[in-house]
Amino acid sequence: MAKKRERLDIIKDIIYSIRENRNIKPTRLLYSSNLSPQMFKDYINELITKGFITLDVDKKEKKTFSLTQKGNNFLEEYRIIERFVENFGL
Amino acid sequence: MPLYSYAYNLIAENIELFRFFYSMLIAFICLIVVIKTDRLFRISFHQGIRYFRNAFFFYGIAFILRYSLAYGSYFFLIKPFFQFFMIMAGFFLLYSLLWKKFETSKGSKSSFFNPIIFVFCMITLIIIFLDYLWVSYYFMFFSQILLFGLASIISCKNYKQNGKKHKFLKLYFIIMILSFFAWVFNFIFGSFFNWRLRWLANVYALNIIVFLVFLYGVIKLTKKQN
Repeated sequence: MAKKRERLDIIKDIIYSIRENRNIKPTRLLYSSNLSPQMFKDYINELITKGFITLDVDKKEKKTFSLTQKGNNFLEEYRIIERFVENFGL
Repeated sequence: MPLYSYAYNLIAENIELFRFFYSMLIAFICLIVVIKTDRLFRISFHQGIRYFRNAFFFYGIAFILRYSLAYGSYFFLIKPFFQFFMIMAGFFLLYSLLWKKFETSKGSKSSFFNPIIFVFCMITLIIIFLDYLWVSYYFMFFSQILLFGLASIISCKNYKQNGKKHKFLKLYFIIMILSFFAWVFNFIFGSFFNWRLRWLANVYALNIIVFLVFLYGVIKLTKKQN
């Protein structure tokens, strides 16, 4: 059985998807994140609140997510956090 | 004169100064660990990092209070606070290794809203009360020996499972064992040797090694890699 993803891994996966796809649509991000709609909504709200991502709406009211500088920095910090957690057995 | 005797004489002649530097050194190490891990926690909201950070925050305060304990006039006022921070630090450190078994990774806003931490607080207050009644440190010693015994077993398991991949797990296991023995020696020297400096200096040395290894691990693992 595949190991259950931890919260930190889910956040990393969402941010990574946005970085790879640039201005990704919500539905596509939902599919790629492999989360239930409710959980997806919770994570997205948290990431917007933390300033990692932004929700952009264009003139045709099309919604897309984009990555902020803070979100980009997180991906770098994620490796440090992951290494720290694994090495201390936390 | 052998180096050990020279070091001992130097400490014995300047005991107050030594106690001050010993407490401040460990408090300073704790401060660096708290600052480094707090940054990681604020980015990740990882509960294991939170409890690890809390442990060192509490150790830092405990060691500052510990220095104040040497001055008799406020002893009975300071002792319960010192014990509270010292015992809770041990609980936090143990729980940082165990939290995944008891809670989800989402966590709560504050550690003190967590029912398990609340139980730890209650146990700590009971230990402080019992030590107050017995006019001793026995219950604190027993609790810490038990905590670090458990932490040693868990860190040994972690090392066996992932030690090849994550090298610091081996050092972590060693420092848990050293901490366990530091508490055992503390109990023995305090109970049977009336806190004699010659013996107690070994516990001080052991504690300094433990905290320095923690500092080494935290600095090494939080360093940015290119």
